[in-house]
Amino acid sequence: MIAPAELRLPRRGVPHVLTFLGGRLLGGVAALLAASVLIFAGVEVLPGSPASAVLGRNASPAAVRILTHRMRLDRPAYVRYSDWLAGFVHGSLGDSAVALAQGTTHAPIWPLISGSLKNSAILAAIAALLMIPFSLGLGALAAVRAGRPTDHLISLGSLAGVSVPEFVIGSLLVALFFVGLHLLPPVAIVPPGADPLSHPKQLVLPVLTLLFASLAGGIRMVRAGTFEVLQMEYVQAARLNGLSERRVLLRYALRNALAPSVQVLAQNLQYLVGGVIVVEAVFAYPGIGSQLVNAVQVRDVTVVQSVAMLIAVVYVLINLFADLIVILLVPKLREPA
Amino acid sequence: MTDRQQPPFEDDRDERISRARFLKGAAGAAGGLGLVPLLSGFGDTAFAATTGSSASPRRGGTLRVGYVGGGTAETISPTLAVTPIDEGRVQSIFDPLVLLNADLSRSPGLALEWNPNKSATEYEVKLRPGVTFHNGKPLDAADVIYSIRMMAKPTSAALPFVSGINLHELKVVNKTTLRIPLKFPDADLAANFVYYNTWIVQNGETNFAHPVGTGPFKFGSFTPGQQSIFTRNHNYWGHGGPYVDALKIVSISDPTARLNALLSGQIDAMAQLSYAQAKAHQATGDVNVLVAHAPQVLMFYMDTTKPPFNDNRVRLAMKLIADRPALIQDAISGFGTVGNDIVGKGLAFYDNSIPQRTQDIAKAKSLLKAAGKEGLKVVLQTSDVIPGFVESATLLAQQAAAAGVTIKLQQVPASSYFNPSLQYLKMPFAETQWPPSSLKFFYLQALASNAPYNETHWHSSSFNSLLFKAIGELNHAKAQSYWNQVQQIQWQQGGYLSWTNADFVDALAKKVNGLKPSAAGILGNHRFQDAWLAA
Repeated sequence: MIAPAELRLPRRGVPHVLTFLGGRLLGGVAALLAASVLIFAGVEVLPGSPASAVLGRNASPAAVRILTHRMRLDRPAYVRYSDWLAGFVHGSLGDSAVALAQGTTHAPIWPLISGSLKNSAILAAIAALLMIPFSLGLGALAAVRAGRPTDHLISLGSLAGVSVPEFVIGSLLVALFFVGLHLLPPVAIVPPGADPLSHPKQLVLPVLTLLFASLAGGIRMVRAGTFEVLQMEYVQAARLNGLSERRVLLRYALRNALAPSVQVLAQNLQYLVGGVIVVEAVFAYPGIGSQLVNAVQVRDVTVVQSVAMLIAVVYVLINLFADLIVILLVPKLREPA
Repeated sequence: MTDRQQPPFEDDRDERISRARFLKGAAGAAGGLGLVPLLSGFGDTAFAATTGSSASPRRGGTLRVGYVGGGTAETISPTLAVTPIDEGRVQSIFDPLVLLNADLSRSPGLALEWNPNKSATEYEVKLRPGVTFHNGKPLDAADVIYSIRMMAKPTSAALPFVSGINLHELKVVNKTTLRIPLKFPDADLAANFVYYNTWIVQNGETNFAHPVGTGPFKFGSFTPGQQSIFTRNHNYWGHGGPYVDALKIVSISDPTARLNALLSGQIDAMAQLSYAQAKAHQATGDVNVLVAHAPQVLMFYMDTTKPPFNDNRVRLAMKLIADRPALIQDAISGFGTVGNDIVGKGLAFYDNSIPQRTQDIAKAKSLLKAAGKEGLKVVLQTSDVIPGFVESATLLAQQAAAAGVTIKLQQVPASSYFNPSLQYLKMPFAETQWPPSSLKFFYLQALASNAPYNETHWHSSSFNSLLFKAIGELNHAKAQSYWNQVQQIQWQQGGYLSWTNADFVDALAKKVNGLKPSAAGILGNHRFQDAWLAA
């Protein structure tokens, strides 16, 4: 009687997780395809033509003609789109449009942006590593102390964090730590090729800015989730059984409150990726965000396309990762339907 | 606003280059032989900065300079250089044939003599002997000829400066002498070789991966969009500097971040302080604000072929409506000198005898009445592409109301405003900025019969022949009288309303000495060989 059931469970359980993950994976690929179409089309509909946009003040008919040929814009859009996408999948991001306009014949984008990508990854990773425990800890603390001064302080602080944009937070932090206290440098100029981690002091303000901006939403969600769980019957039952509040919180409440929080934390991670762009500009940090802003300013459309697509990939990867964590946390998802 | 100089006569090339690139282009440049003294309007150039003590220069240290970055578009090649950060690099590694001084006068650079034939159609140029490149090779005539040919390439920003040269007939006379034949008479060829796009590279240089020049600093490293490093050239031919051991040029695009970097001591000098920042820090005095009166002119322009501006009375009325001092005060925080509807204040041949035009609403009204244009309504197309444009347009609209003229503003995206395949040259009433380097280049680019950037759609064959007489006249007094006629015509009838010559505004840390305000370029025309750091 028992044996068949035990045999059945894993057989039907594993495929369920796989279908779930498979579905998410397919969804991710579809989202990326949609993003790629939008990114490609965004450049296509630039006023005039992409070649004219890149040339700007120098867009004489002859120059536009030459660059149109160099950027291979004389081929139909669907051919260029599929070539671009195929190149992207194979790790070839194409040539910088501005370099082509300057007369260079071969100017691959990847070497131009790989260093910046690494710098941004380091910045975002530090912020993320700090954001996750802080969100969980402060959120849970506020829930446990619901209605008390600690809760009010945390809730009010996070509300402020949600409402103030990064560049304002950044400026306030500069005003406080540089202008006021002379403790920290107001810009993070990392020499090319150098490891940002070897300039820890310069990283403090960018990381803090990112942290403040991304922490707030997470704290509020974790607080709400934990608060809700703490009102559940099984938690009450555990309490009535005489378990310590600490054990109730850690063993019973938090684990179940975590699942919805993971999704929020994932969203915050994605927000970090976007926030990095603004924060890098404010602190002159040589990352992918600065690279993107510069590329937009000099109208290097191919670099803009590649960076935008890379950011889309990061978004989707974070989502998939979050889904995986949720499956690990919520037993129900691992069981047969 | 690009600027290829459509070669005035034959030649059918169709490549253009950015006017931004040649902006202050051929500044200065007086006589072919000795250097004719200039009528500089900037002799009194403001030393707003208390630039250091009079102590003797100190050797050593690294000078770190922050500029607006250009991302992937940054380059080290003189002929591709476009933005100030490129300019700073080029002027550190290389040298010009002719030096442009802070007051827009000129001194010999790599060339000592410019000797034209009687018709000013061929020059013999004598080079400075004993100059060597960073790799030890002596500078010779072949390097200069190679550089000129590079300037003439289709993607070159220097094209307007060499399009009058007969490239096939360039000749080496001996090691330090070359012959430059021209397609049309030009009494002041030296004027073409001051601008950074025309600085001299070594014969055979192609990709600039390890550029070698004759300049005050040697190449160290270069990462586009981030930073470049240079070291002191111990064998520099110039007098005095360089004093610092190394020069580091850093890209910081955000203006606040750039200023923060200066205030925190992470850089020692910053290019392009915003007007608001300049006001604030002139007051606090925590950095030295470097202000230089310069000929970079901000103008409104009217299409002289389109109604209502095809009637000169309307154009004159618009020029009389403008309250220039108020525009300067409110649109660019007072960082400019008053414009007089002609271009090139401070440059050779600028006509200082023309009276300054001032606001005269009554006269403007009577002109409009005579033209049957009372209660005139016009559209002014503006853009935030250059600081001061939108502000000045808004103010002009307010000033026009007093004369019964309604100016409706229309914002054009920055990316289209100067793009000739989009909006540029298609707007009947709009704004522009020119940093001319010589009268010759501005007029060839903007007002000659086949000028590529003819913003006012000015077409006049008599004006055109007068212009080329002025350009080709070797007798200085005669040339000046031709130039005066050219400028008087523009002042009376032209489509330009120039309201200011805007200042260059930069900032230096207190310990930086030796960099002086220069009408020739920002940051003391990037002369880092003059800079030294106090202990």
